[in-house]
This record gives sequence, C-alpha cells and structure tokens, in this order.
Amino acid sequence: MRLDLRLASFCAALLFSHAALADEPLPQRWVSAGGSLSEWVVALGGEDRLIGVDTTSQHPASLRALPSIGYQRQLAAEGILSLRPDLLLGSEEMGPPPVLEQLRSAGVRIEVLPSKPDLASLERSLRRMGELLGTPESASRVFADYRQRLERQRQWIADAQRSQKAPGVLLMLGHADSAPLAAGKDTAAAWLIEQAGGRNLTDHDGYKALSAETLMVLDPEVVIYADRTQKGAIDPQALLKRNPALAATRAARDGRLLALDPTLLVGGLGPRVPDGLAVLSAAFYPSAQALTAEAAR
Amino acid sequence: MNPAVHARPLFIALGLLLLLALWLSLALGPVSLPLQETLQAALRLLGLPLSGAGLEQAELILGQIRLPRTLLGLAVGAVLALSGVAMQGLFRNPLADPGLIGVSSGAALGAALAIVFGARLGGLPEAFAPYLLSACAFAGGLGVTTLVYRFGRRNGQTSVATMLLAGIALTALSGAAIGLFTYLADDTTLRTLTFWNLGSLNGASYARLWPLLIVTIAVALWLPRRAKALNALLLGESEARHLGFAVERLKRELVFCTALGVGAAVAAAGMIGFIGLVVPHLVRLLAGPDHRVLLPASALAGASLLLLADLVARLVMAPAELPIGIITALIGAPFFLYLLMRGRS
Amino acid sequence: MLRAENLAVQRGPCTVLADIHLELRPGEVLGVLGPNGAGKSTLLAALSGELPAAHGRVLLDERPLSAWHGPERARRLAVLPQTSSLGFAFRVEEVVSMGRLPHATGRTRDAEIVGEALAAADAAHLAGRNYLELSGGERQRVHLARVLAQLWPGGEGQVLLLDEPTSMLDPLHQHTTLQATRAFAEQGAAVLVILHDLNLAARYCDRLLLLEHGRPHAFGTPDEVLRAEPLRAVFGLEVLVQRHPERGHPLIVAR
Repeated sequence: MRLDLRLASFCAALLFSHAALADEPLPQRWVSAGGSLSEWVVALGGEDRLIGVDTTSQHPASLRALPSIGYQRQLAAEGILSLRPDLLLGSEEMGPPPVLEQLRSAGVRIEVLPSKPDLASLERSLRRMGELLGTPESASRVFADYRQRLERQRQWIADAQRSQKAPGVLLMLGHADSAPLAAGKDTAAAWLIEQAGGRNLTDHDGYKALSAETLMVLDPEVVIYADRTQKGAIDPQALLKRNPALAATRAARDGRLLALDPTLLVGGLGPRVPDGLAVLSAAFYPSAQALTAEAAR
Repeated sequence: MNPAVHARPLFIALGLLLLLALWLSLALGPVSLPLQETLQAALRLLGLPLSGAGLEQAELILGQIRLPRTLLGLAVGAVLALSGVAMQGLFRNPLADPGLIGVSSGAALGAALAIVFGARLGGLPEAFAPYLLSACAFAGGLGVTTLVYRFGRRNGQTSVATMLLAGIALTALSGAAIGLFTYLADDTTLRTLTFWNLGSLNGASYARLWPLLIVTIAVALWLPRRAKALNALLLGESEARHLGFAVERLKRELVFCTALGVGAAVAAAGMIGFIGLVVPHLVRLLAGPDHRVLLPASALAGASLLLLADLVARLVMAPAELPIGIITALIGAPFFLYLLMRGRS
Repeated sequence: MLRAENLAVQRGPCTVLADIHLELRPGEVLGVLGPNGAGKSTLLAALSGELPAAHGRVLLDERPLSAWHGPERARRLAVLPQTSSLGFAFRVEEVVSMGRLPHATGRTRDAEIVGEALAAADAAHLAGRNYLELSGGERQRVHLARVLAQLWPGGEGQVLLLDEPTSMLDPLHQHTTLQATRAFAEQGAAVLVILHDLNLAARYCDRLLLLEHGRPHAFGTPDEVLRAEPLRAVFGLEVLVQRHPERGHPLIVAR
C-alpha cells in the first residue's frame, strides 16, 4: 500500500516536473540548504552553480568558502535574495515557512526534496537535480551506480553473516568533553548501523545520555564514536579515560572502537554513505574480506 | 511637576531617532537597493501615484520583506519597553523586568510545547499550523502570569512581594518543564527551540503582525492614562491610595497590560531580552522618573533601539542572520552591569 | 470632620485596637502617645481606611470612609507615613507636587502651592535637588510638604494625619515642623499627630490620647493626660511633671 502511494507520487512528481521544466530555462544560480543535497549537487557536477549554502553543507570542504545563508530552519529572505538566486534547494526541514513564501513571491524557485534515508527518496531527489542541472542521464547513472553499491554491500553482509553473527553496536555522539549521547532506535545512526550489518542495541528515541550501568548491560561488541570536534581517527586511550564506563564493555576489551564522521548522520543518503557503510561493515565483520570502494566498482 | 520644559527636546530627539531608525530599517539590508529606487518604492507604498516601472524588486523587498519586519520591530520594541516601565512601576524597583511575573517563562513553555509536540499534532488545519507556535507562546505567557497573579492575591489584595516570589517559583517550574521537553526533543527540534529563545524578526508577515500591532496600540494608549497613578505608586501603595488612586485596579491593569504586550511580542518574535529592562532605565537617566514622560519616551526609544539592533542582526552576518536576542543581550548586559556598578558607588 | 465610633481592629486572632471613640475637631491638633506596639500606627491606618475595622466605623463628614470617591477623599484627608520607600530619582518639587495629583487646579497654581508648602515645611532651599540625595530628615520634611500641598491652603473640613513626623529631625526642625503643623491647623484643618516626645506633645497639642495595648488609657488636655500616674502606668517610667517656666504647659522630666 505504502509502496503504491510512493510510486504514484513519484510518477506524478516526474510528470509535473517535466511539464514545468519544458518551457523554463535551467536555473543557473543555486542556493542549497541541506548538507547531503549540496554534496549531491557537487557529485553531479553542479558545483559551479552553487552561490550559497547553509551551515550544514560542510562537504566537500570547498563549499565552506561560499557565502553562508545560516541554519536551514532559520533562513533569512533578504539575505538569500541578495545572492540573486534562481533556485533554492532544500529538504523538508527547510524554513521558516513565511520566509519561503517571501522568497517564492520574489520569484525564487524553491525545490523541496525528500531527505528520508531510503532509495526511493534519493532517486526522486537525484532525478530532480539532474533535470535542473540539465544532465538527467548522468544523474540516473549516478543513482544506478549508488544503488548497485548498496546492493553489493547488502550481499557482502549476507555472505559475511554466514560465518559470523551480527555484532551488537552502539553509536555515541560526542561533543568535545561533554558526556557522549547514545543514538536511539529512530535515528539515522541506527539506520546506518543496520545497513552496515550491525545490530543497534538501543531502545530509546533520539540521542540520549546513557548511565554507566546501562552501558554495561548493553555491553556492545562495537562502539562507534562520532565526535563533532574531532576529525579523523580517535585515540582509544583518551576516549576510555574520558568515559570510564566504556572500558568495561566488550568493545573496549576487544579494541573495537570506531570513529565516524558525524556529518554522515544528517540529511539522508549522501554520496559518502556507501564508503562509510563499507568501512563500518568491514569493522563489524573483521574476518570477511573488506569491500573497499575499489573492489565495489 | 513641570516636565514639558525638559520633555520637549527629549521627545524631539527621540522622534528623530525613531525616524532615522525607521528609514535605515527600510533602506538597508543584505540586498542593496539604489537610494532613488528605495525612495520611489517607499513613496508608492505610502500610496503616492508614482510610476512603478522597473521598481518590482524594490517594491517587493520594501513592501513584503522590510516593511512588515520594520513594523514588527517597531511594535515589539515599543511594547517591551512599555511593559518594562509598567513592571518597574508595579514593583517600585528600577531593576524589575517583564519576566518577573512569569510572562516570559510561560511563553517559553508554550513555545516549547508547540515546537516539541506540534509535529505530533498532525491533524491541525493547514491554515492554523503556522500560528500554532505564536498561539501557544501567547497562551503560555498569559496562563503563567494569571497563575502568578492568583498566588499574589489574598483577601482581595494583591501582594507584590508574593507575586515576585510566585513568579520566581513558576519560572523555575516552567524551566523544569522546558528541560523535560528538550530532553524528549530530537536534534533539529532542539535547534528550533534554541533559535526561538534568541528571538528574531525574520519572516515577518502582515498576517502575523496585526494581532501584535493592535495589542501594542492598545497598551501604548492605555498605560499613559495611568501615568499619574504610576507616579503616585512609586511613593508606595498606601501613599497612592491616600492620593486617591484605585491601587488594586491599577496593579491589575499593569499586570494585564504586561502579560498581553509581552505575550504578543514574544509570540511574534520569540524571546528578546533586555529591552524591557534597559530602555526604561536609560530614559529615566535622561528624563527622570515621571511616567508622563517616561512612558511615551520609552516606547519611542525601545522601538528605535530594537530596529537598530535588528539592522545589525541582518547585516553583520549577511546573507545569514544573527538572532536579535544575541545583539540586545550584547548591548543590554554590559549596560546592566554598568548600572549596577554605578548604583553601588 | 473625621470621627471614629467604637473602632476596633483585628489582626488574625488578636484585637490590636479597641474602644476607640474620638473626633478630630477643626483647628485642633490631637496628639497620640503610647509605648512601642501600643497601636498608634494601627490607629492611624484604621482612621485613614488602610486597615478595615473589625468593629465600629470611621466617618468623614458623617459618611463612611469607604463611601468616598478616591480623589474626593484625597482632597479632604492626607496621611504622612512614618517612613517612605520612594526609590526613584524625582526632584524635590516633583515629589511635593504629587500632593496635587487629586486636584485639577492647573500647572501654574500647583507650582505656587508646591513652593508655599515647601516653605511651610522649611524645605524651600531643597527645591531642584534630587530626592535620593537627601538625608532622612530632609526627606521627611519633603513628604510633610507633600501632604501639606495635598490639602493646601488648609481649611475647615480637612484632615491631616501624621505618623511621627519628627522622628528623624534635629531639635530645631522638630520644632519648626510642629509649628508648621500648628499653623496649618489654625487655618481650620483637623490634625492628628503621633509623637514619642512627651514635651513636644505637651507644647504643640491641644488634646492627647494615651494608648496602652490598643486601648485608650487617658484622653484629654495635656494637663489631664501628662500626669505622673498615667505615664508610669503606660510607659513604666517614673517622671516629675513641672511647668514650663515661660509657657506654662507641663514639662516632663524623668526621675
């Protein structure tokens, strides 16, 4: 039922977007409000169209040189208008609504693309971006390639699971020295863990601090640590020193502490997700041969 | 008491300041418009029959973005400053603030409810959804203030001291409830809450402006009628009664005006601190404590100050925007400290 | 005129004032004496309508106080509290002109009255000063000027209630203040004044009310009230009562 609805809306979107685009010139000046959307624009070869991005657009690093339009939910109409954009691209989270209304009445085309982490949403978004960039074929190629990589990833996990049970995984979101928050079952982190073949251990919603005792009861085999300030590899000694409760877990004893770029956790399926998944699943199933980016292609 | 001599130059200066702030607020923004276009568009907005050729963008930016925002800033600044005067009069303390009677914390509680649980109320009619936050903030402010007022009443008399304590207790209680909601909230919701707590005039539209404008005009017309009574109240409650004023009714009116004014301002623009505290204080330094001067002068100064702060908010990080609460706090907090130090010496 | 009939005031379960029958007469200064806690300020609060009567009633011109319209009453009855908590930087003449708030006599006339009332309270030289910069005694005189301005120029039918107007004053100003009060009474107003100094009371009051535990112990002329027995009974103080060598009123000396 849900799939039918989704398909129907998908087809409708396609129809309308084609009709709308038929007699309009392609937008040349783009503003993007949404980390993974900006990333996809770059991946589809549209970086030179971008004239402004929001604060969640951190990848690739070259985007940070563009004018910042602020946080995606607190956009300012006149600030965006001062960039003279043709198009504002964003997710459903973009707002506030009165500002979008003002932009629309000023003649800025506003594209709201889904940010849910599922392939149907991604396909819709990529197709739309391809049309707006004037390169629909390359966009569908990129999508096909992406789907294939996720498919291979799934198979690889299925293979690996024949010889090894799915590990129990906990993702902790840290920020500098504050107590880390554990990702709940409804978060993008839980989705990433499941996709990488792990078993998310938490039962709460959102990101919450866990007590030392809960941590011991959960006893994760793998702990993923996403630190917003720390880029790159983590220092396990320092991490355990700051969070002594972690030291009692299997993950710490077996040295299975992983670092993850926290920007992977926001904005749905970005272009870096397959690589991230490959790294995670390689760590989840150490005995299986790693599915590296090269091997996947 | 003959304030006219000193009041006239003050009113002229504050009037000019407000005109300047209004003009800057209309003429400056991240989009730079040529002065001539701005002027023409402004005159056309005033209804003058000028040709509008080539002015589409200027008219849109002036008419749809800057004018509603400027009017919002005008109303919020004026009503916050007036409420500050009313509270400093009610508590007979120049350091009182509209937040004391719980209106701000109540509004914050209402807003937190709306932000955190609003998404789960999927069944709201489309037309009402954007007003949910404002409506909840307004209702929260009025609700908590009513409670504070009820706690302060005993034997038909309102004890200002009890109200102050009840305000502190209910503020703490609201804070705890907000804390609970933030614990339950997800990341993006938290961010929305944070931004709301810092206030902003962003996204002003005429539709959301009217309720606040009406409240502001009502408060701005009503409070000056009580200027003499407020002066007498500064002597003390029984002194004011001996001078023939109906003190209980006056206190009720002051609480009501403040709850209504601050509630509407917070609902329209989020929490904007320090205007209600600092502006009356500043005006008192210039013109003395006579409410016949203090009330209108504070309204003028509050509106001007908020418009100028908003100008900074939208220009300094353009094309992004700073929350205006950050600017008012950056100006207000050091000024407050200066007042404290000055009072001590 | 102001009259209290069988007035009693209750604070919680305690009766803090009872059996008060008194009438303030035009042109007369009535002094209220009594030890701390005897109910002097309570009496003043009850007479001015600040405290509700548990018993009896207070009439101004044969009308109960509560039946008077606020400003109308304020033009007839003024009250000077013991202390003031005004914490705002008004100029002295602004404070005094608050006494004119119940009136609509116009700015020019009000300014004249403020000047005259300040002069009467021996505070004319304070005009233009910031109230907050004044000493306690100076503030007390400014508030006296304020209540005088409220009834100015004073006349029959007006009532002035003063709660320890001399408590913070130097000896000279204790006398000038009470002289001003007398002079005001001579215009026709009825004055009630709470005092602690028995000799000041003896000199400036026409009648005295001696309160003990909220009840009148003695009520009459200074000669009748200021005698050794009632003073010993109420204050627990042994005194000699003599005559003022020049003026002839009682002079009280502690033994």
